[in-house]
Amino acid sequence: MRPWIAALLVTLLSSFPCPEAPAQETWKQAVGPWSWSFPRDHGAHPEFRTEWWYFTGNLRDAAGNRYGYQLTFFRQGVRLRASDPRNPWSLRDLYPAHFAITDARTGAFRYAEQISRAGPGLAGAAKGGLNVWNLGWSAKMEGSLIRIRAQHGGMGLELELVPRKPLVLHGDRGLSRKGPGRGQASYYYSLTDLATKGTIRTPGGGAPVSVEGASWLDREFSSNALTKDQEGWDWFSIRLSDGRELMLYFLRKKDGTVEQESSGTLVEADGRSLGLKTGEIGVEVLATWTSQRSGGRYPGRWRIRVPAAGIDLTIAPLVAEQELITEGSTGVTYWEGAVDGRGASAGSPVTCEGYVEMTGYAGSLGGQF
Amino acid sequence: MRTVTRSFLRHLYRRRSLSLLQLLGIACGVAAVVGMALSARSALSSFSQAVEFLRGKSTHTLERLAGPMDESILRQLAADPAVVSFAPVLERRLKLGNGDLVRLLGIDPFLDRAIRPELSRVPFERRTSRSFEDSIAFLTDERAVLIEAGLARTLGLATGGSVPTLKGPLRVVGSFANPSGEPLILMDIAHTQKLLGLGGRIDHVDLILDDEGGFASRWREGYRIQSKRQRQDTFGAMVGAFRLNLEALSLMALFVSVFLIYNTAMFAVVSRRRDAGILRSLGASRAEVAGAFLTEIALFGTLGGLAGSLFGFLLSRALTEVIGGTISSLYFFLRTAPMPWSWWVPAAGVAVGLGASLLGSLYPLVELTRTDPAVTLRGRSGSRGNRRRAWIVALAGAGCLIASILLLAFFSKRVYAAFIGVFGFLFGLSLLTGVIMVLAEPLLGRVLASFGGLPGRIAAGNIIRNLGRTGVAVAAFMMALSLSIGLGSMIGSFRQSLIWWMGTQLRGDLYVSNASDMEVPEGFYEEIRGIPGVGGVDTYRKAQVTYRGRAIHVAAIQAGVLQRFARFGWVEGGDGHWEAVKRGDVIVSESFARSFGASPGGVVTLEGAKGPVDLRIEGVFYDYSTEHGLVMMDRATYIALYGDRTINSIAVFIDPSEPRKRRILDDIRARAAARGLPVSTREQFHRNILEVFDSTFAVTRSMRIMAIVIAFFGITGALLTLFIERRRDFGILRALGFSTGQVARMTLLEALGMGIVSFALSSGVGTVLAVLLIRVINLRSFNWTVFYFPDWQPYAVTAATALAASLGAALYPIWKVHRTYPQMQIREE
Repeated sequence: MRPWIAALLVTLLSSFPCPEAPAQETWKQAVGPWSWSFPRDHGAHPEFRTEWWYFTGNLRDAAGNRYGYQLTFFRQGVRLRASDPRNPWSLRDLYPAHFAITDARTGAFRYAEQISRAGPGLAGAAKGGLNVWNLGWSAKMEGSLIRIRAQHGGMGLELELVPRKPLVLHGDRGLSRKGPGRGQASYYYSLTDLATKGTIRTPGGGAPVSVEGASWLDREFSSNALTKDQEGWDWFSIRLSDGRELMLYFLRKKDGTVEQESSGTLVEADGRSLGLKTGEIGVEVLATWTSQRSGGRYPGRWRIRVPAAGIDLTIAPLVAEQELITEGSTGVTYWEGAVDGRGASAGSPVTCEGYVEMTGYAGSLGGQF
Repeated sequence: MRTVTRSFLRHLYRRRSLSLLQLLGIACGVAAVVGMALSARSALSSFSQAVEFLRGKSTHTLERLAGPMDESILRQLAADPAVVSFAPVLERRLKLGNGDLVRLLGIDPFLDRAIRPELSRVPFERRTSRSFEDSIAFLTDERAVLIEAGLARTLGLATGGSVPTLKGPLRVVGSFANPSGEPLILMDIAHTQKLLGLGGRIDHVDLILDDEGGFASRWREGYRIQSKRQRQDTFGAMVGAFRLNLEALSLMALFVSVFLIYNTAMFAVVSRRRDAGILRSLGASRAEVAGAFLTEIALFGTLGGLAGSLFGFLLSRALTEVIGGTISSLYFFLRTAPMPWSWWVPAAGVAVGLGASLLGSLYPLVELTRTDPAVTLRGRSGSRGNRRRAWIVALAGAGCLIASILLLAFFSKRVYAAFIGVFGFLFGLSLLTGVIMVLAEPLLGRVLASFGGLPGRIAAGNIIRNLGRTGVAVAAFMMALSLSIGLGSMIGSFRQSLIWWMGTQLRGDLYVSNASDMEVPEGFYEEIRGIPGVGGVDTYRKAQVTYRGRAIHVAAIQAGVLQRFARFGWVEGGDGHWEAVKRGDVIVSESFARSFGASPGGVVTLEGAKGPVDLRIEGVFYDYSTEHGLVMMDRATYIALYGDRTINSIAVFIDPSEPRKRRILDDIRARAAARGLPVSTREQFHRNILEVFDSTFAVTRSMRIMAIVIAFFGITGALLTLFIERRRDFGILRALGFSTGQVARMTLLEALGMGIVSFALSSGVGTVLAVLLIRVINLRSFNWTVFYFPDWQPYAVTAATALAASLGAALYPIWKVHRTYPQMQIREE
C-alpha cells in the first residue's frame, strides 16, 4: 500500500508555519512555563497542534516469560475550527494510534496502526482528564487508576496502571526544549513508574495471559517542536532495579551533531527528579541492526553513562526486530522496543529494563514534529 | 482427390458473387450469435465488477432492514471484537446538470483505507504543486468531490473545475480511475450528509469480520448482515430474469443463424449437383467428391466464422452499451465496458460457422453421394421426390410440435423448459413449411398469375418444384419474420399494458423526485400538504428487503390518499381494499403473489426492526414496477415496522374542483426547486417511464433487425441458386419466345412469391409466438401478466420488410437475367 496517509500528514506537519497557511489560524506555541494542573492536563490541549499519550511497559507472566507493549494515542490538529462544528465528521483533528506487542520468548513482534477523525464517537481525547480513545482502543483514568485496552487481529491487551511515584515534569518545569528557536519546545511530563496488572494476548498465542510489571506514560503537547535541520531523535526510558528511572533524549541533526537542547531526567527512588544536560550524559553505540523491511540502520546496543549519578549501563533490545512502519497512520518509520540491561547505579550493581525509541533512521523527520 | 478439390475451389472463384453471398450469409449468422452472446456477457460482467469494486475488500455489509441508519452505531462497531475494519457509506444517485444520474459515494477516507484502499487514498495522493489548503480540500471543502476519470473526460472537467448538479455545483479536486468503468463521484462523508440533508445518517457499513457467527448473534435484531457471497447472490437474482432474457435472445440469434448457415451450406451442395455428377462420370470416386465438398464447406465455415466473429465483436461493442443502458435504468447505474478482444472469439465464431455448415451440408451430401451420377447430371432431383420428402419432414415437424406442446403444458413453470418449448414449437412449425407450400401451390399460382400472368404461374411452379431449396429459404425467412412479428406484438402489448398500469397507479398532478434512492425531506411533505387547494399528497417510499431469502421490495404509500385519487388495477377485488390497508393490512403485487404463492387472506411475515411481523394480505394488484415482488402498505404501518421515515418521492393531487390548480402547481414547483428537488408532471413522469421501457427493449429490437438481415441473405442466396440452376430452363424459355422482361418479371415474382408465402406463414406463427412470449415466457420470467393487445403495426412493418427484402433479394438475379438471358441458348439438348 502506498503511504497515502503519510503524504497527508507530511503535508500537514511540514506546512506550519508557512507563508501560505491562513493567517487567522495559529496554534498555541510552547513558550514560557505552563501552569500545570492535574487531572486537567492529563486531558487534551486542542489549542496545540500535536499531542500524544505514550504508554510503554515491560511485563512478565506467571511462568516468567517477558513481554513488552506500546500503546500510543496521537492527536494531530488539522485546523483550529471545524467548518461545521455540529457535524462530528467535520474535520478538526486527526487521531492516529499505534499498538505493538513484543513476546521475548518467541521473539515475535507485532504492531497495528489506526487513524480516524472524531466522527460520531470514533476517536477523541477528552479535555479535563485522561480519556482518549481510538476505534476501540482506549486509555482512561478513574481516580488514580488508568485502564488501557487495545485489540487488533489476534493480539490485545487489557491493563490497569497505578502510579507508584508522583509525575515528573521534564526540562524547565515541564517546558522541554527541542531547539534553539522560539516555540521549538514541547510541554512534557511523564508517569515513570506505573504498577501494571492485567492480561495480554500475543498474536498466535491464543488465550489471554495474566501479566504484571511496570509501565511508563509520556505526555507531550506542542505545535512545532522539530526544526528542519534535525533528522530524528533517540529516546530512552529506563527503570533501574534500585528504584531509579532515567529518561534521556537526543535530537540528532543532519550534520551528525547532537542538538544542544537535548536533555534527560533522573528520577530517584523517592520520586525526586533531577534534570540532566547533554554534557552530563554519555551514550555509546556498541552495535547496529539493519532493518530488512525499511533498510534503516539502527543502533542495536548501548552503553549509557551518567557519571554524576554513578550510572553506567549496557542495554540491548529484547528482540532486534521492533520496527514500526506506519504508512497507514502517521507515515513515520521508527523503532520502538523493549530493552533490558545491567550495570551499576550509585556504585551498586543493578539490572534495568525499559523502552527505547529511535526515529529518523529510515527517512528524516526534520520539521515534522 | 486433389484434382477434384482444386476444381471445386476454382469453381468458387468463378462464381464469386454466389461465393461471396454464401460467405456473407455465414458471417452474418455468426456475427449475430457472437455479438449477442458477447455483449450479454460483457454487460453482466461489468455489472458484477461494478458491484465488486464498490464493495472493495469487505467481507460483509451491515444495513438497516429498510432505510438509512443512525451513525451512532459506528461506535458500537468499533468496540465489537469481531470487527477487523469497518467503513460507513452513503450511496445515492445524484442528478447532474445534464440530466444524467451518477452514483455518489460518501465515504470516510480514513476508515475506508482497509476496505477500499484504491479509492480511499485518492484524496491524499501527492501532488507537488498543491498548496496546503488544496491538499486537504477533500476533507475541508464542503463542495469538494473526486470524480471518476471517464466521467471527467465526458464532462470535460479537470481539477479545479465545477460539476453542475441539481444540488448545486460541486468542485472537482481530483479524479481517479475506476477499473469497473462506472461513473462515480466521491465525496467526504461529512459533506455528503450535508449535501443530501442526511445529517447523522449513513446507508450501510462495509465490514471486514473475523467471526461472522459471533457478530451475527450480536447484530441480529433490526439489521441485515450480508456476506460477500449473499450479496453476489442478491445481485445475481436481481438481474436473473434479465440475464435469462439475454440468453434467450442469444439463443434466438443462434437459432436463426444456424438456420441461415445451414441454408447456405445446403445451397453450396445442391447447386453443385451437376458438377458433382460430371466429376463422378469422369471417374472421381464418391469419397473424392464428398471430400471436395467437405473441403469447400469447411473453407466457407472457417472463413465465414472468422469474418463473422470480427463483425460480431464490433457489433457487441454497440450492443453492450444498449444492454448497459437497460441495466442502468432498471437495476443499477452502470457504464459497461465491452469485452476485450480474445482469441476465443474467433475460435467460437469458427466453431459456430463450421458446425452449422457441416450440419447443413450433411443431408444433401449423403443424398448426393448415394445418387446415381446420371441423375445428378440432370441438375436437380425431381419434384415428386421433393413432395414426398416435404411430407416426411412435416411429420418430423409435427412430432417436434407435439413434444414442445407437451413440454409447455407440463413443465411450463420452469423458465428454461418454457424457452426450449417455445424454440421447439418454432422449429416444428418451420419443418411444416414445405408441406404447406406444396398445399398452397394452386393458391400461390393464382396470386402470382394475377400479378404477372404466365410468368407468375411459372414462378409459382418453380418455387414448388425446387422445394429443396426454396423450402428452407422460406422457412428461414418465415422464422425471421415470425420473430419480428412475435417480438413486435409482445413489446407493443407490454407497452399498452404499461400505459394502462400507469393510468391506474400514477395519477398525481405533480411528482416531486422520482428515483428510488433520492429523498424528499419530511418537512417538505408537510409543507406541501398544508397548501390550500391540495387535495392529497401521497408519500412513496420503496425499500429492498429480504423475504424467504430473496430480495423483494416494500413500498409505503398513503392509503387514504390513494383511495381517493388512484384507481389500482386489482387482480382480485376492487378499491374497497384500501380500508383494510389503512388499518394495517398489505396489498401485494401480482409478481409477489405468483413468486411466493400468496393470495388474499394469507399472511406475509416480514422481518421488522423489532423482530418478525405478520401482515395480512388484503389484495393483489397488477404491477410492472418490479419483477421481484412488491408488498405495499400504509406509511404508518411501514414506519411501525422499520422505523424508517424516508420518503423517496411525493405525488401531489389537486382537488378536482380547485380553480387555481395551475397557480398551486407553480407554487409547489418553485418550493421544490428551492430545495434542489426535481419535479415532473404526470405526463413527464409517464413519458420517462416509457422511455425506460423503450430503452429496455432496444436489444430486442436490434435482434429483430438482425433476424431480418439474416433472412435477407437467405432469400437472396436461394434466388441466386435457383437462377444459376435454371439456365437450362432459361434456354427453353428463350426458345419459346419469352422476352428478357418476362423472364425478369418471373424472377421477381419468384422472389415475391417466396416473400408472400413467408409472410403469410409468419403472420400465423408470429401471432402464436407473441402469445407464447406473453403468456408463457413473460409470466414465467417476470411473474406478471401482460395483456395481449392486438395491433396491426408489427404485421404491417413485417409485411413491408418482407416485401423489401424479397424485392431486394431479386435485384441481383434480375440484373444477371438482363445481362445473360439475351445470349442464352439451349446448349445441352
